[in-house]
Amino acid sequence: MISKEEEKDLQQPQILSIDDDYSIIRQFVDGDKSAFQILVKRHKEKVRNIIYITMSNSALVDDIAQDVFITVYRNLKHFRFESQFTTWLYRITVNRCKDYLRKMNVRKIFFPIEEGFEVSEYSSPVENNDISRIVMDAISKLPVKLRMPLILKDIEGFSYQEISETLKCEMGTVKSRIFRGREKLKEILQPLEKELMN
Amino acid sequence: MKKDLQNLELLSAYLDDELSQSEKAEVEKLLATSLELQKKLEDLKKVKQLGNRVKRIPESPFFETRLMAAIEGQKNEPSRIKRWMPAAALAIVTIVIMVVLKFNPGILDKMWEDQKVAIAGFYKENLQPVLLAANLTNEDVFNFAFNNELPLDNTRQQYLLLGYDDSGKEFFEIRSSDQKVKRESYNEFISAMNLDAKQKETVDSIIGSYSKALESQVLVNEKNTIAINPNLWNLRKAIFADLLVASEKLNKVKFDRIVPSGITNAERVIVVNTLEKLKNTSGDQYIFVTPDSIFEESYQFDSKLYEKEMRELEKQIQVNEEKVEQFTLNMRFDSTYKYLTMAHNEHSFRIVVDSNICRVDLPVPEVPEIPIPGMTTINPLVEQATNNIHFYAYKIPKIEKTKTEIKIEYYNDDSVYSYVVNYNMLNMDSLAEANPGLDLYNLEKLKPVKPFDDTMLIKYQFDRDYYNRYYSDDEFKKQMEELQKELQQMSEELNKQRIRVKSEVTKSPKK
Repeated sequence: MISKEEEKDLQQPQILSIDDDYSIIRQFVDGDKSAFQILVKRHKEKVRNIIYITMSNSALVDDIAQDVFITVYRNLKHFRFESQFTTWLYRITVNRCKDYLRKMNVRKIFFPIEEGFEVSEYSSPVENNDISRIVMDAISKLPVKLRMPLILKDIEGFSYQEISETLKCEMGTVKSRIFRGREKLKEILQPLEKELMN
Repeated sequence: MKKDLQNLELLSAYLDDELSQSEKAEVEKLLATSLELQKKLEDLKKVKQLGNRVKRIPESPFFETRLMAAIEGQKNEPSRIKRWMPAAALAIVTIVIMVVLKFNPGILDKMWEDQKVAIAGFYKENLQPVLLAANLTNEDVFNFAFNNELPLDNTRQQYLLLGYDDSGKEFFEIRSSDQKVKRESYNEFISAMNLDAKQKETVDSIIGSYSKALESQVLVNEKNTIAINPNLWNLRKAIFADLLVASEKLNKVKFDRIVPSGITNAERVIVVNTLEKLKNTSGDQYIFVTPDSIFEESYQFDSKLYEKEMRELEKQIQVNEEKVEQFTLNMRFDSTYKYLTMAHNEHSFRIVVDSNICRVDLPVPEVPEIPIPGMTTINPLVEQATNNIHFYAYKIPKIEKTKTEIKIEYYNDDSVYSYVVNYNMLNMDSLAEANPGLDLYNLEKLKPVKPFDDTMLIKYQFDRDYYNRYYSDDEFKKQMEELQKELQQMSEELNKQRIRVKSEVTKSPKK
């Protein structure tokens, strides 16, 4: 039986791997602005991908990612080295995505647009048959509450701990939401079960 | 139920390897005994694996470059507070203006007037009469009176053209020299009137007497400002009318040709009176055309001062002619004026600009500035004379159109030639040309056409009676008989010739 203390210890190597981020951030805080570019290079693709899956729209990805990194750039000197840099980075990313989704929903109220408008670039029949596209469309139909933990877990491979810190919620909640997300996704994809699940 | 749900959540976490050892053991124990849970685990696994099938977004190689550019761009932007400053300042200024206007409603008008006066003052500086600037010759003055055209500088780069639009409203145009409409015409007028040298001198002196009156009507300066006194339109007519009255005395025969109806006594009186008035009075309102605006302002032209200066300059010219400075006007005809046209109303100038011409239509009540009684009565005289002088002096054909015909008259070597083209005259060639494939022997199909404005041919309306009169069977038969007779005669003649030729050949000496 491993105690909680021991569990924490087991997670230590993860932090060690993040230590590279810490040293880069210190360089940046010390005035080496080029360090920021290294930081961007290391994390941009993960950030972009989270945005891509969350928004289900590639056109917005770079704009939102740019927003995220500009926020990081402005606030990096205040980074307290108490948590992983990535936790902070992904939290900003998730919050930006939520902001955009909220704006889009408001816009939809005032300017009703046809369904599929936002994903028009994927609307070709060939693309629609693509499993990746089908799954992404299904994920986009999940409520944001369920969508975010599911993406971070099943696509980005985050641990429950990381998800809990990123989304600022309890581990139990993460566990529950991931399960419910999977159940909901299965329900959405029910009509295509044979093609997808085999 | 709650227990089931908890178990399912555990199952999901078990799949993610997120359970403690004890939880894991518990789940495995449950799984070993429940097929349903095993099935559920299998389903959850399949759903989880779907995540692996989602394609990642392609990398963006230029992301960092764009991001760094955006960061750099934002660094250079003023801070948030500074960015709001202009808007805040504007709001404060607006409030101040509103308050000021509430208590001083006339302040804007006053500011506008002050501004206008300042601008006008700038452009009014050093205005000089066009007569001096352009060194007008008698030819120029005559051209002005007759062709409405006045050079504005001594290099003859730009001209002023006066005119009336279709509704009789005055307009003027400033044209570049290559857009000059009429040729030099004074000498041609002299020759059309058949005036000798002495008579020409008389006309010269009449023209010369207007120099002074004309000089204050158009003023120009080196800032490319042109000031036009609207009275100029009256003066032009008056000079022309005066020349006509004089011409009548000089050569009555030629004059009658130009003005067949003659000049009535009443017209003569009006001309004399008008001229007196025009020569001695001039309005103070000028239309200023400047490189950036067109406005109307009062301006006192000190003719005495200018007369003095002009005489001095004339002396200098006589002393050393080549040293005379060239004065060139260069009005730009650009989009500046186009903005002015946007805001026109009936009390403002309407301005039309292209690359070579700037046309300004005067507001409704503009000319005459000085009320001149009877000025309109001499209009028909001036018009008639202008047309006839064009005809006699410049050999420009007179074209009269009626419903059925066009009459073209032209003058050459003291004779008037005229042609009448009747629309209703059948012209077979034209019909065939205009209607290819037309059966000229079966014109029944040809329907009368509605007249258009374009060509004479289209205006032609088919006159069937006319056709039948000339081309009826009887007429045709008669003509054919005549033709036959002629052919017979020709044949006989030819035979005689042949006999004669033959006999001559026969009689020719043998070699």
